This record gives sequence, structure tokens and C-alpha cells, in this order.
Amino acid sequence: MRLTDRGIYWVLATVLAAAGLIPEFRSLGNLANVATQSAALAVLALGQTFVILCGLIDLSVGQLTGLIVVLVCDVAAGRDAMTAPALLLALGLGAASGAITGLLNNRLRIHPLILTFGTMSVLQGIVFTYTDRSVGRAPAAIAWLADGRLLGLPVAPLLVLLLAAGAHVTLTRTRFGMHVHAVGGGRDNARRAGIDTDRVAATVFVISGVSASIGGLLVAGRLGVGYPHAGAGFELDAIVAVVLGGTSLAGGRGSVAGTVAAVVLGGTSLAGGRGSVAGTVAAVLLLGLTNNVLNLLQISSFIQMLVKGLIVIGAILVNQPGGRRAFA
Amino acid sequence: MSTEAERPRVRPAAIASWLNAGWVERSAIWVVLVALLGVAALFSDAFLQPSYLFNMVRQAAPVGVAAIGVTLVMVMGGVDLSVGAVISLAAVVAAVLMDGQAGNIGYALAATLTIGAAIGFANGVLVAWNRGSPFILTLGTAVAVYGLTQIYSGGTARGIVAPGFREFFNERIGGLVPVLALLFLAAATIAALVQRTTRFGRSLYLVGSNPRAARLAGLRAARLTVTTYTLSGLLAALGGIALLARSGVSSTFAGRGFEFDALAAVVLGGTTFEGGRGGVGGTVAGLLVLFVAFNLVNILGLNYNVQRLVAGVIIIVASAAYTYLTSRRLTESRLWPSHHTSEGAP
Repeated sequence: MRLTDRGIYWVLATVLAAAGLIPEFRSLGNLANVATQSAALAVLALGQTFVILCGLIDLSVGQLTGLIVVLVCDVAAGRDAMTAPALLLALGLGAASGAITGLLNNRLRIHPLILTFGTMSVLQGIVFTYTDRSVGRAPAAIAWLADGRLLGLPVAPLLVLLLAAGAHVTLTRTRFGMHVHAVGGGRDNARRAGIDTDRVAATVFVISGVSASIGGLLVAGRLGVGYPHAGAGFELDAIVAVVLGGTSLAGGRGSVAGTVAAVVLGGTSLAGGRGSVAGTVAAVLLLGLTNNVLNLLQISSFIQMLVKGLIVIGAILVNQPGGRRAFA
Repeated sequence: MSTEAERPRVRPAAIASWLNAGWVERSAIWVVLVALLGVAALFSDAFLQPSYLFNMVRQAAPVGVAAIGVTLVMVMGGVDLSVGAVISLAAVVAAVLMDGQAGNIGYALAATLTIGAAIGFANGVLVAWNRGSPFILTLGTAVAVYGLTQIYSGGTARGIVAPGFREFFNERIGGLVPVLALLFLAAATIAALVQRTTRFGRSLYLVGSNPRAARLAGLRAARLTVTTYTLSGLLAALGGIALLARSGVSSTFAGRGFEFDALAAVVLGGTTFEGGRGGVGGTVAGLLVLFVAFNLVNILGLNYNVQRLVAGVIIIVASAAYTYLTSRRLTESRLWPSHHTSEGAP
């Protein structure tokens, strides 16, 4: 592991230490809050880690999340009996959307940034044609998933930990995980080595779609209503988290740990093939932490935005390995 | 059999070199544009009227001017996602500094362009002296600039456009060509000439296609990087001024999303994320494809949400058609080095 790959953890540790100086921050309730609020983004970033590791990118997850939030709440309309159908709808829709994106990616051979920019636009059109105001209500079980407690511990962060562990094992211990790294590291070489690169690409898009399903459920549970704007901007935050977590935008390098750190802190490289789930999680935590600390310090949202931008720049300066190409 | 016998006479090498000159690649997007215009004309006669088409170019000008800068950056192998934020900031700063006084226009525009160039310069320095990804770096700049704009504007639309400012830019020369459209086309022409004929322009392609060779050849890659990003910031500020002139809007998020419109135009136009290929000409065509699509949906009387949906489909279909036209050449000639696909994002 290179020093730069660990940059995200150093930044996270520094921010944590600084935050520790604020008394309100140290309370357990607040820490649980940070983790709970970061959960949806963390799940999206976990999915995006697979995509970016594969050397692809998925801009559509934000709007897909928004669509799922709206549909889940509208279908359930607060009725507990509708929980299971709403869950199935969310997961099915996410997987289907991911499968279509994967199929289009393999058939059309358009740059994934353009392709998913197109699907993002389509999904946005669908969301706002469906409704331009808040609709429905999330059932109690989904609200519990997003905001509840299990044995005194917040549920959403536990779910994130579980998913992150699964993603980490998948990427580092399974044949599929090796294939994702290989395709991200060099698609032509992977194909010559006998890897079905199209299937790997389609699978990572499905994973990304399902992550939007779970993310959408968490957002729906937290908001309580189907707010059509709920997904806006999520795609960029997720990508930032993955890149800050040390996954390379060129593909092939990266890890779940980095992703988690980034989602905390926001560090995967856009070249693909490099990075980790842990890094992403750390980056997400960093982003969440920063918001929390600035809120506790009662700093205006305008300045918060400026600070967030500077943190992204700072994190990338200490964290990004590789060359200076657009996606390296 | 007969084709086999003819083959030696047509000299495959000559055909391959003609194909490799990039002719098909450069013109494919224009073919897509003409085809799309043809389809659009089936739905509405408006697409055959010069005044309507020039008005479309006027609409496209703010994104288009910024897309010129993004093209130069991407040919060099970088990317600039901060242009949407710079457009917004520029529109707000220009409107505030004008403060409704015609006498302030010159000073307001100069200050706005300086600020845009300064942000581009900062991007360039960050990218040149750091090994980080320009994608994320410029995204970070974008967020920071949006923050700055909000602090400056107080979160609402601010500033008063000077009288005469918008009238001048929207004046139609000869009753046909809006000044704004003409200025955009002039900027694109100058950029295309710079890129094709100057040492700076050629250097961008060398750095983009092979940075190490460029360094070994004695090119000052860092200086070139800073210059190009500065230009991109300057052009984005110009795009902000164009937006203010076009619509009079000067709010914090006036240019939000423009970075993706610009990126879509650049990539549709054949400039790749790997650098070294493409150019401003293709970007202009890509931009027009986007705006014909937007206008077609609009003229069909669909609401904004359906417009987003259809625009998304058109972007995908146009891009797929373009890829199809260009990839046929790649598989036929097999002369193009394959390192682009094996190293970069597929």
C-alpha cells in the first residue's frame, strides 16, 4: 500500500481530532447522527466503487434514488402491509435500471459518462413527470431502517457496515472481484485473458442500481415522504466519495475500505481500477463529519459549501495517486 | 473474386492513411447533426428557417463559449467541471458591478473576465503541480465557487443589468444574425484556428496524446496546463456574460448543470477523455446536436420534464450513431494504437 493510498485516513483522523475539540460533537447521540445521515450516501458510494473500479462511471444513481424515493412512498402510502411490495419494487427497479444501463453500455459502446448522463436525464424526466411535489408516506418499517435503533445501536450505519463488509469480501476474495479489478486495469488485456468483460460491466451497473435502491429506501425512510428532489446531487457526492477514498478513475485500483473512509471523508480515483471500499467509507464519513461540525459551529450553509469544496480539493491533493490525466 | 483482384489497384495503405487522417471521425458528428436537423424539419418547418436556426445558436452561446475552453483542456488530457460554477459567478459579478449604469459596463466585464481567468489559473496550478485527478479537483473548485457565489449574492438574485447591455447582444445584424450568436461563432473560429495553426494549439495535442514524449521533446507541460485551464476559466466567464446578456439571469445557480451540457457537447464532438484527439469544430457540432434536440422537444409542445426525458434519449442515440460511424473505421483500418482503450476509461 502506498502512502498516498492512506491519505484519506490521515485526513479523516485529523478532522476527527479537530472535531473532538467541540464538546457537542463528542456526544454519542451526535456521532450516531453523523453515521445515520451519511448512510444513504455511503450505500450509493459502495455501488459506485464497483463501477469506478471497473473503469466506468454511473451518473444516473442520484435520479434513480429520487425515483425510488417517490415510488416507494407513493405505493406504500404509509400502509405497513405494503412494506414488502414497496421493498420488492425498489430493489427490482434498481436492478432493472442497472441492467438496462449495462446492456446499453455493452451494445452502444458510448463513453459511460455520456450514456449515464443520458439515462440520468431520462430518469429525471420520469421522476418529475410522475410528480413535481411530495407524495405518499414511507411505511414504519422503512422509517425504522433509516432512523431506528437495534439493541440501542442505529440501524442504518449497521446496514452500511454489513454492506461494506460484503462489498469488501466480494472485491478482494472472489473471482468476480478480481475480474472487476482486471477490467478496470485494462479492458483489452482482461478480454484477452478470457474474462467476459461485458458481463462484468453489466454486473457492476446492476450493483450500482441496487445500491440506489437501498439508498433510496434509506432516504425515503428518513424524509418520510416521496420528495422528487431527494436524489439531486447524490451522484456527484457518491463519485467524489469513491475517488477521495482512493479508487482510481482509470479503473483497476481501489478498495471498499477507502470508499467508506471517503464517504466519511469523501477518496477513489476516477481512472478506475484503483481504490477501496474502506477509502470510500472514510470519505463519506469525512463529508458527513464536515457537515456536522460546521452545523454544530453554526456556520452558514454558504460558507459550508465553500469549505466542502476546499476539503474535496485538499483531500485530492493529499490522496490521489496516479498521473494528471482526466481520469487518473 | 473480382473484389480480390481489384484490391491491389486501390492501394489499401492509401485508403488506410486517408481514413487515419481522421476525416470520418471529424465529420461523423456533422452527419449526425444534419440527420437530426432533417428529422426535426419533418416535425416543424421552423428548423428550415435561418432566423430560427440563428436564434438557436444564440441560445447555445453561453454553454458553447464555455465548451470551447473545455475542449482545449480535454484535448490536453484534462477536464474542467468548474465551468458551470464560473458561469454562475460571472453572471452575478457582472450584474452587481454594472449596477444599472451603462458607464460601468466596461469595468464590470473586465473584472468578471479577470475573476474567471483567476479561477482557471488556480485550477491549472492545482492540476499541474499535483498528481490528482482534474475531474475531482475541478469538481471541488466548482463546489467552492458555488459557495463563494452564494456568499457574494446573499443567496438570491442580485445586481442590475445596465441598460443597452442586453439590447446590444441580442440585436440582430441584418435582421437575422444575433450579435451573441455571431460572437460565439467568431470565438469558435478563432479557437479552431489557434488549435490548428499555432504552436500552442499543436502542443495541446502532443501533451494529450503522449505527455512523456511531450516532456522529452522539451515542452513545458506545466506552463501549458496552467495556460489552458486559465483560458478555460476566462471562456467560462465569457459564457457567464453571454448568459447574462441572453436571459438577464444573475442568480447563484444560473449556470448549474452547464458543465454537463458542455461536457456532452465536447464528447459528442469527438474529443475524448484520454486527450490528444478531437477539437473545437466537433464541439460546435456536438453543441448544436444538443440544442436541436432541446428545441425539437420544445417545439413539439412537451413540458420541461418530458423534454429532459427526450433530450436524454437523443443524447444517447446521437452518441451511439456517432460511435457506430467512427468505430467502423477503427475496426477496418486497425492502424490506430489501442492504448487509449486499454488504459483509459472504456
